[in-house]
Amino acid sequence: MGQYLPIIVLLVLAILFGALSFLASTLLAPKRPHAAKEAPYECGIVPGREPPQRFPVSFYIVAMLFIMFDIEIIFVYPYAVDREFLGSFAFFEMLAFSAVFFVAFVYVVARGALDWGPVQRAGRIDSSLEGVVSANRTTTSTIRRVGAEGRIEEDQKSAVA
Amino acid sequence: MFAAETLTGPSIPWFTLSPLLALLIGACVLMLGGSLLPQWPRGLYGIVTALSAATSIVLCFFLWDNLSDGRPETIIGDALAFDHFAVLGTISICVAVLLASLTTSDYLVREGEDGPELFVLYLSAAIGGIVMVAAQDLIVLFLGLETLSLALYVLAASNRRREESQEAGLKYFILGGFSSAFFLYGIALIYGATKHTNLGRIMETLSSQQAFPRNDVLLLAGVGLLLVGLAFKVAAVPFQVWTPDVYQGAPTPVTSFMASAGKTAAFAALLRVSVTALESRVDDWRPVVWVLAVLSLVVGSVLAVTQTNVKRMLAYSSISHAGFILLGVEAASHTGSASAADGIASAMTYLLLYTVLVIGTFTIVGLVAGRGDSASNLTDFRGLGRRRPALALALTVFLLAQAGMPLTSGFVAKFGVIRAAVETSSYAIAIIAMLASVIGAFLYLRIMVSAWMEDAEGQDAAPPVPFLSGLAVTAAVAFTLVVGIVPGWLLDATRQVITLAGR
Repeated sequence: MGQYLPIIVLLVLAILFGALSFLASTLLAPKRPHAAKEAPYECGIVPGREPPQRFPVSFYIVAMLFIMFDIEIIFVYPYAVDREFLGSFAFFEMLAFSAVFFVAFVYVVARGALDWGPVQRAGRIDSSLEGVVSANRTTTSTIRRVGAEGRIEEDQKSAVA
Repeated sequence: MFAAETLTGPSIPWFTLSPLLALLIGACVLMLGGSLLPQWPRGLYGIVTALSAATSIVLCFFLWDNLSDGRPETIIGDALAFDHFAVLGTISICVAVLLASLTTSDYLVREGEDGPELFVLYLSAAIGGIVMVAAQDLIVLFLGLETLSLALYVLAASNRRREESQEAGLKYFILGGFSSAFFLYGIALIYGATKHTNLGRIMETLSSQQAFPRNDVLLLAGVGLLLVGLAFKVAAVPFQVWTPDVYQGAPTPVTSFMASAGKTAAFAALLRVSVTALESRVDDWRPVVWVLAVLSLVVGSVLAVTQTNVKRMLAYSSISHAGFILLGVEAASHTGSASAADGIASAMTYLLLYTVLVIGTFTIVGLVAGRGDSASNLTDFRGLGRRRPALALALTVFLLAQAGMPLTSGFVAKFGVIRAAVETSSYAIAIIAMLASVIGAFLYLRIMVSAWMEDAEGQDAAPPVPFLSGLAVTAAVAFTLVVGIVPGWLLDATRQVITLAGR
């Protein structure tokens, strides 16, 4: 049981730290709310609507590359660490593995995994963004439209209080 | 820090592994050629896949011959078994790849998205399946299971235009992930109980602990979890809930491959693990298999009757077929009886025959359903006998065979397992199986009535039958009838699968 004591102490400390941080920020932080602060996203350009198109997310292809090399390293690393002991048997095994691995790599690259340039249909998406990004829109004009329904207004709040 | 001597690896019998290597080379050629060369001529991807599966089958026949001279043995440091059982399982899976790749080729042309990916996935799934069939070690078995399953998840979701296909893939993936976790936990517990993952060593350890009373809690929990994992893969009740949705949603050729290769691999693994490693605990796992078999038979047959979609019906029918094969597993558990080995032989024969039957049936369903697998309701089969008599006739042969009519391979299969059950004195389960077979016949009759006796209103278009699909259907019909009429040669051959390696 004694071995586990540090873990328990760490656990308690972590919980305490979290709780105290919340408490401190509630007690100490100044509160001066205004419309922009209560928006879902405090900074950046305010979106008027969801982007309606589907647009390509090619992260999955990067993820495929990542997983491939991840798996390769899982095999290669232990071999590299203990090459002397593993000897020629493991050497040829690694060679065979690398050959099959290379086929997968060629496939992924041939399917465009390394074409990381600007997204091919970027032009179409940009042209359709008109109205979404506009200098006319301010925090007061847009926030009311997006998320102010049902919220207690400032004057009502004071009336309730 | 550095060991003085170097590791001497296990010797690798390359020829014994040649069926696997043929599939692997096929997959690599498709992947490299498919991605580096421009679009291949129509159907060539499928033909290359079929060729590598055919090569694999031919190599299996050579191996079968070699085995008949020698003894079954374990290879690569006891990781894989090399016996008639494994070779027959390999042949079943390769037949599934061969037939499914022919029909998939036409399916892809129909959907307008020809490419090598599906075929590569078929081949890698088959590699996983063959590893499962031959696995002599629980970890190797898990490796094969995952290789098979991951490929099948992607295959099920492979039609990106249809939401049903996506849904099927996701459902299968999530539930399959669960079952894999159960399976792995089972392996861990069995390892905890016996200190081994090798089936042969587990058998030795367990048979040396015969003293009563013994403490088997860890082992039994492990065996239970292992059974859950495998019962999920073979779609035995109560682990069948994914089957109708996935079979219906997945592209039809993929469904046929799942129903054939997936079942074969999982059943072979179930048989090998339970008969080899758990031989001394048959009394513990027999009741579990008994219950699984009865539930699968009854639930599969009864629920199939109420369906209106043919792919769903066939999914339930595949559940009931799983019940029949479990009958063989149950018979194999009566190790005291002289006929226990018949259980193994009949279950493996059933798997081979069912592979051909189910792929044939689903191929025809896919042809009738047409583009996007959209027309697979029972009403879409109306008047098929008038629109495409030959296709309707082939469908009738397959359905009669699935129902177990004499003179078809289905009768040979069902007769085999029921006889094995009777000869091991499991009369109750044999009677339940025969009753379930009668209930199940209603389902097949409904499809036949729809195809022959009901008239189509406004459905005059005859479904086109492309060459490769036609070839697959013809071969399957021929096999079904030949085995049904002259079953002797096959039964004589499969009688040899009863000697498992390391036993």
